[in-house]
Amino acid sequence: MSNSLHIAAREYSENARTKGFWINLLMFPVILFLSIKVPQLLEDKAKPARHFVLIDQSGSFEGVIDQAMERSYQGSVMKKLGEYIQKYTKEEFRVSLSAKALEDMPQVDMKVDPANPQGAMFDMVLNENPEVLDDLSQEGGLDMVVQLIAGRLVEERPDFEPPKRFLVHAPIPDGALEGVDLTSASREDIVAGIKPYLLNEKSIEGSDAPLFALVVIPPDAFQQVRRPGEMSVDALADAKAGVQFWSTNLTDMDLANTIEGAINREVQRLEFESKDLDPDAVAAVQRTEMQFAAFDPNKKVGEEIVSMADTIRKWAPVGFVYLLWVAIFTVVNMLLNNTVEEKSNRIIEVLLSSATPWEIMSGKLIGIAGVGLTMMVGWFVSLLGVLHYMAGPEVEWAGVLIQVIQTGGLLPLFGLYFFSGYMIYAGIFLAIGSLCNTVKEAQNFMGTATIILMVPLFTMVFIAQDPHGSLATFLTWVPLYTPFVMMNRAAADPPMFDLVGSGILMFCTAIFMLWLSSRIFRMGVLRTGQPPKFIELIRSLKASQKNM
Amino acid sequence: MNDTSPYAVELRGITKRYGDFTAVKDINLAVPKGSIYGFLGPNGAGKTTTIRMILDIVKPTEGSLTVLGAPTAMDVRERIGYLPEEKGLYKKMKAWGVIAYFAKLKGMKGKAAKARAYELLERYGLGDFADKKVETLSKGMGQKVQVLASIAHNPEFVILDEPFSGLDPSNQQVMEDVIKDMNEAGATIVFSTHVMSHAERICDRILLIASAEKVFDGTIDEAKSLIPKIVHVEGVEDAIALGALPGVGDVRNSDEGLGAYDVTMLEDANPQDLMRNCFQNGIELTAFSYHEPTLHDVFLHLVGDDAKVATLR
Repeated sequence: MSNSLHIAAREYSENARTKGFWINLLMFPVILFLSIKVPQLLEDKAKPARHFVLIDQSGSFEGVIDQAMERSYQGSVMKKLGEYIQKYTKEEFRVSLSAKALEDMPQVDMKVDPANPQGAMFDMVLNENPEVLDDLSQEGGLDMVVQLIAGRLVEERPDFEPPKRFLVHAPIPDGALEGVDLTSASREDIVAGIKPYLLNEKSIEGSDAPLFALVVIPPDAFQQVRRPGEMSVDALADAKAGVQFWSTNLTDMDLANTIEGAINREVQRLEFESKDLDPDAVAAVQRTEMQFAAFDPNKKVGEEIVSMADTIRKWAPVGFVYLLWVAIFTVVNMLLNNTVEEKSNRIIEVLLSSATPWEIMSGKLIGIAGVGLTMMVGWFVSLLGVLHYMAGPEVEWAGVLIQVIQTGGLLPLFGLYFFSGYMIYAGIFLAIGSLCNTVKEAQNFMGTATIILMVPLFTMVFIAQDPHGSLATFLTWVPLYTPFVMMNRAAADPPMFDLVGSGILMFCTAIFMLWLSSRIFRMGVLRTGQPPKFIELIRSLKASQKNM
Repeated sequence: MNDTSPYAVELRGITKRYGDFTAVKDINLAVPKGSIYGFLGPNGAGKTTTIRMILDIVKPTEGSLTVLGAPTAMDVRERIGYLPEEKGLYKKMKAWGVIAYFAKLKGMKGKAAKARAYELLERYGLGDFADKKVETLSKGMGQKVQVLASIAHNPEFVILDEPFSGLDPSNQQVMEDVIKDMNEAGATIVFSTHVMSHAERICDRILLIASAEKVFDGTIDEAKSLIPKIVHVEGVEDAIALGALPGVGDVRNSDEGLGAYDVTMLEDANPQDLMRNCFQNGIELTAFSYHEPTLHDVFLHLVGDDAKVATLR
């Protein structure tokens, strides 16, 4: 046994002392940190302003579009102001959404993004009461709001800086449509005049960026309105006849959606009027709703209402599955490479004269498991560290995630499934390693193996959505996938039968794999030449049964 | 374990088959304690397989063996040192680390193993490289490190598979010195080689294997005595008289010309006596030459065409 430990210690220090290992370990929190911070920064700083030219030949929509632009901008001012207030509110006035609050907060609207509940609340308010923003945009409106709340904020704080405008209604560039009568010009002429700006052949004043979009509303816009029940003869021609949105960037649809929304709201408002309905009454009706909450029968009586934390808890295992997958395959690859190295270097012969194959194998398994454990502890410590650092008014969910990780019972399960998954795959990879003389040969085997191993990654989202569905249940009973799938289902209280039964099957498989690979290992490590064909392998396993 | 046997290793009819192929066939052998034993034979004769069976790296298909009084080498592995034929080391480890690691696997304690590693590296001229990674060492230095790794735990029985292959002449001399040093310190040494001159210089006894079978086992002198002593004479007029002399077995014409003969001596006859007998019987000679057969001659005599066949396989 002491030899196993010597071998384990060497394997551990050889793998854990490499630069690659530490880079791998440190990259995780760095990437995590960046993946949270960079989008925020991009949102604030790097996203370029979108200039658009609007040619409204109908003359009916320019006003509502500008109003929508202003509301959209004031919305972002509000959002930033909200963050500013959260950040600089004096301690005694702080009513932040703590993790506890989130736990209690019912997830009323199922569409709310659990990653950003506060943003979602803002959106909800703004969508339903857009008028509140109009006050903010009045001269001095913003200053007044800041003055009002100043007493609740700490003394040492920077002045509030409103965000810059992202969507800018630009005037028609000088000379672009010279000699064109805008009210009667054909759309071809208008587009031809503006196209060079869209294609960045010419630039508009006051912006280095190309013109982002051109919106053309035809004179007969109201004839292009489609009502329910109206059949279209030529859908393509009809689509062309309506409002046209020209842009080289058709992935960022913020602007298009804002404009389309504004136009449609106006069309609908006029429609109400034409039917003698009061648009305000209709709007009020549209905001009328029934209270609706989700309940989970698995939870304690009285606490069944599904909370934010539950939603996070439901999705957290997906992250765990991914970590599990990366952790297992990182370390079993180390195992494979070390075994092939020892074999190609012939070190294995000296080892075999000093230790039994079983000692060598178990030493390697223990050593590499230690590497994996170090890696995971490193990851979790840094994960919790980053989350703690981030957890604050701006990133509410981080606090909830910390709580879920610490209390959800997911960590022990993660440890359990790491070790069982590790044993199964370590057995396979050790056997492959012992049969191959070079890393290249091993890679040939790995191609097939990798495809099989990708399955848990492909299915992890579906299984989280339907943790007791037939896919989840079926894969649970495939021992190769049990660790990943059960990790995936862990938060959904899988049936005891699945949990225990598949666990037993998984452990039996792990032990069988290790037994089998110890035989292959013993036979394979001294082999030279091409890796054996499958039939040869079976035959020599049978033969070695007699000899050993 | 009570190891009172006078032999370090005893092989009793061991055979190793891989499917239809027989690598080693029915070998019996006893290696006396304190001896230097050479395993000789052409490539592919079965030397390495025999060594692996002694070390319990592969199990014999038939037969049994005793190593230092134990039924398998694994039971007494701390007392055995092994240098395999193909040399390899962990490239990323430091020189002292490799030696200490293998010493620890052989039962040495951590600190003692480290001290011993430095001591050995110093003694064999690698003191400056003790803290260097193996990948930075030259091939020769790497091999030296591996030899040191295999003997760091002061084994009483050392097996070296082709220890001289790949070494330059000065390092071959160092290797010979290491073997002699260990033997003087009381260790039993078994090594395999196909370079006869090394075996001849340092072995007490040899085992000759060809095509999986034992061809010879005994001392160097015994081996040499297997070859008939042939004396070359020239200027002989009466070949019949020459053939009648005591101790002469066979007289054949030599290619050297008229009066030149190759005289095969009887097994226990002394070639020196032939010259005296010629003078006493009035047989005139213009030339007389005799040289001791070398191990190389014995090897070719015993193995003959097998060697070539085996090498080609």
